[in-house]
Amino acid sequence: MTDAKKQQGDKLSEAAAIERAKQGDAEAFEALYNLHKRRVYSLCLRMTANTAAAEDLTQEAFLQLFRKIGTFRGESAFSTWLHRMAVNVVLMQLRKKGLPVVPLEETMESEEEAPRKEPGAEDPRLAGSVDRMQLQKSIAALPPGYRMIFLLHDVEGYEHNEIAEMVGCSIGNSKSQLHKARMKLREFLKTSRAEKAGKP
Amino acid sequence: MTCEEFERGLPELGSGHSIEQEEHLKSCSACSDLVADLNAISQQARFLKGSEEPSPWVWNSIEVALRQEGLIRQLHEESSRTPAPLLSWKLRWLVPVAAALLVALGVLLHQRGMGPVHLAEQAPPVGAVTAALQPNEMAHEDLQLLNTVAQRMPSMRAAYEANLQAVNAYIRDAEQSANSDPNDEVAQQYLRNAYEQKAMVYEMALDRSLP
Repeated sequence: MTDAKKQQGDKLSEAAAIERAKQGDAEAFEALYNLHKRRVYSLCLRMTANTAAAEDLTQEAFLQLFRKIGTFRGESAFSTWLHRMAVNVVLMQLRKKGLPVVPLEETMESEEEAPRKEPGAEDPRLAGSVDRMQLQKSIAALPPGYRMIFLLHDVEGYEHNEIAEMVGCSIGNSKSQLHKARMKLREFLKTSRAEKAGKP
Repeated sequence: MTCEEFERGLPELGSGHSIEQEEHLKSCSACSDLVADLNAISQQARFLKGSEEPSPWVWNSIEVALRQEGLIRQLHEESSRTPAPLLSWKLRWLVPVAAALLVALGVLLHQRGMGPVHLAEQAPPVGAVTAALQPNEMAHEDLQLLNTVAQRMPSMRAAYEANLQAVNAYIRDAEQSANSDPNDEVAQQYLRNAYEQKAMVYEMALDRSLP
């Protein structure tokens, strides 16, 4: 640990910061916050599409984490622990607002929810290029259930089994919802591109 | 394999395809375009990870809450390690926030056809009250503001109180300099800046306190 601290100069390593935070060291809390704030905040922002709400959720997630930091034994990665907490905070918020958190099972899904496309039909592609800003806007337009799965898998890099555990759905459902989220995003992006090009 | 069958199997696809699916992709441009698009979306999404930065308010609020809950050590234990009192934890966040808001306020005033002089003309009553007070003593309107903040965000009251005290001290200093030499343009500018800083603290507090 001493070596790690030396290697990082004045900056605390995560492991050292965790141990010092357990002792109530303000600097350690801040170091942990700085290490993870962007990832947690980005997730909250994309789920709420509201900076004030995202900041409140970020604050709540870190507070929950710091309140429980004494119980962290290092069985899992600290970032995973924190992120699960952030996801739970976001899910709680969505539930409070009455928004669907657990994606609907395929059998319950309405026709309107499913992306419309005839299999194999002529379909102008995105030519492999996706505008990042437009992608952000399209993600914000996804229904919350799709959005959460997409963010956790494609943005945050979680596996389906982890997502299923976090969100409380089956692995198959997570896979299915991810695919539908991507399909919807493709539609949004194509529509946006067509509008930009002045096409109907 | 038909396109329908291929698409039905897409959700289950990981990184690779079966031989049958590969064969279909080679012969079907629509499905290969679809796969290329979905991959492009997925790849671009990775760049969104951690791409946003929360405002300094968030850490400030967290720290205030942690101190109130006794989860971090008391301030006096740390103050011995902090050489510059003006840059202590309570005020560090104010620097970028104030700078950002100063720019925003400037743009706003410019758009409304108001200059900082007008704001300064509006602000002196606050400063005039401030000047008559002892250091760390709060004017009536400051206390009202703190009460408003406390009602909406109890954890933020201490931070706002510290910020108001700091900005009041700034106003007092600026007023002394401006009064000692009324022709000193720099001193006048400092005074206007001080009033603007206080206006910003009010603006931020009221903005955050709105239901």
